[in-house]
Amino acid sequence: MSASARVDTIQMDDVSVRFADTDVLRNVCCSLPARTTAVIGENGSGKSTFARLIGGLARADSGTVRVLGLDPARETAALRRRVAVVFSNPDAQIVMPTVAEDVAFSLRSEKLPRAEKTRRTQAALERFGLTALADRPTHDLSGGQKQLLALCGAFVREPDLVIADEPTAFLDARNARLIADRLLKNGSHRVLLVTHDLDLAQRCDQAVLISQGTITAVGAPGGIVKAYQELLVC
Amino acid sequence: MLSLYRPGHSLWHRLPAGPKTTLVTLIVLSVCLLPVTWTGAATAAAIAVACYLIPGMGLSELGRQLFAVRWLIAVTALGQFLFLGPERAVANTTRISAALVIGALIVLSTSATALLNALERGLKPLQWCGVDRQRVALLLVVTFTMVPVLARLAGEVRQAQQARGGRVSLRYFATPFLILALKHADSLGDALSARGVR
Ligand SMILES: Nc1ncnc2c1ncn2[C@@H]1O[C@H](COP(=O)(O)OP(=O)(O)OP(=O)(O)O)[C@@H](O)[C@H]1O
Ligand SMILES: [Mg+2]
Repeated sequence: MSASARVDTIQMDDVSVRFADTDVLRNVCCSLPARTTAVIGENGSGKSTFARLIGGLARADSGTVRVLGLDPARETAALRRRVAVVFSNPDAQIVMPTVAEDVAFSLRSEKLPRAEKTRRTQAALERFGLTALADRPTHDLSGGQKQLLALCGAFVREPDLVIADEPTAFLDARNARLIADRLLKNGSHRVLLVTHDLDLAQRCDQAVLISQGTITAVGAPGGIVKAYQELLVC
Repeated sequence: MLSLYRPGHSLWHRLPAGPKTTLVTLIVLSVCLLPVTWTGAATAAAIAVACYLIPGMGLSELGRQLFAVRWLIAVTALGQFLFLGPERAVANTTRISAALVIGALIVLSTSATALLNALERGLKPLQWCGVDRQRVALLLVVTFTMVPVLARLAGEVRQAQQARGGRVSLRYFATPFLILALKHADSLGDALSARGVR
């Protein structure tokens, strides 16, 4: 086991996030050690806020957050280098006009020799089956190809943790499978996956149920999904 | 202006972004300073054709560019014709069209990455007055990329209105479009931070 593997991926202690006067997350405590974690819960329960908090895109109003041992609010730069985030809408994640340039864009802020950047870009394109599309305009791609590109742009940075907020929401079943496979595929990276797809949640090592702004259950995905389904029935 | 980078091997493509921008700016300036006469119009048109033909961009590309700005040309031509007469109308319209299509050569033959790098370098002198050149360069390039996305959002809003049986009115178009565009900008900001942009 490497040194970093001993640190829990995500730890929270009594964390609250407020928007205006309402607590969107309240008194969240958790310690999530597994490689892949699914986050499930109803619409508006606070899943995205939870994910954004971990990705350093939202601030906690109280409590302490540790992601890979880092404080997202204070060690943001270090967090960015190790954590990548993927969202549902690929259009909002693609920045450059052609596929290869967009992947390379993720490495712009990294201090690497140019040859190394090119090598990593090409390797990532290859790994995601995008080599043939390298020079295509990004806005011409299909939804599935765009999301694959967004994922490729996240993985090219070789992150230790990938946060994905409903990455398959806009995709058909086949593309959803493809994206999920790429995301969860064995590797050294860890994954936090927010999803409404309960079959997909079952594929993770552990699951978290969020309800009305707080974590109500953590455990093996089978049991958590069952608890969630019971919650939905009543 | 919507037409973005087209990969190719013309002389324009091979010229580094910095000198290319300077050269194109100079040509555009001289076209703008041509006399408002029939000869001026012919010279402007000849320069535009030469700028596409000689370095190997091809006349069909010139045609595509002119087609992209056809409404602008039509409106300019009509207005000028009514108020200024044929010679000045033709001369002004030709000069404006020539300047536009020559200016488009930069975007057409420069990849976004090269443009971004050149902008970052070119904006360096502005650093002393507190301009964050990386940010400005990125803003300009991202704006270009966003044009097709915004066009699609606009189309979706219009279609949603038609689907609900409404007449297309600017007032009922502007609000949802603005909200969508702002939401898009918000998500884009998140995605940029997540990809390491400060
Ligand atoms: N920027 C914001 N300003 C105000 N309220 C917000 C903001 N973002 C989220 N909220 C509110 O916080 C609550 C939780 O939102 P969040 O997006 O985290 O839910 P979610 O579990 O991801 O829902 P969904 O499954 O629909 O994506 C919602 O009630 C939402 O209205
Ligand atoms: Mg959400």
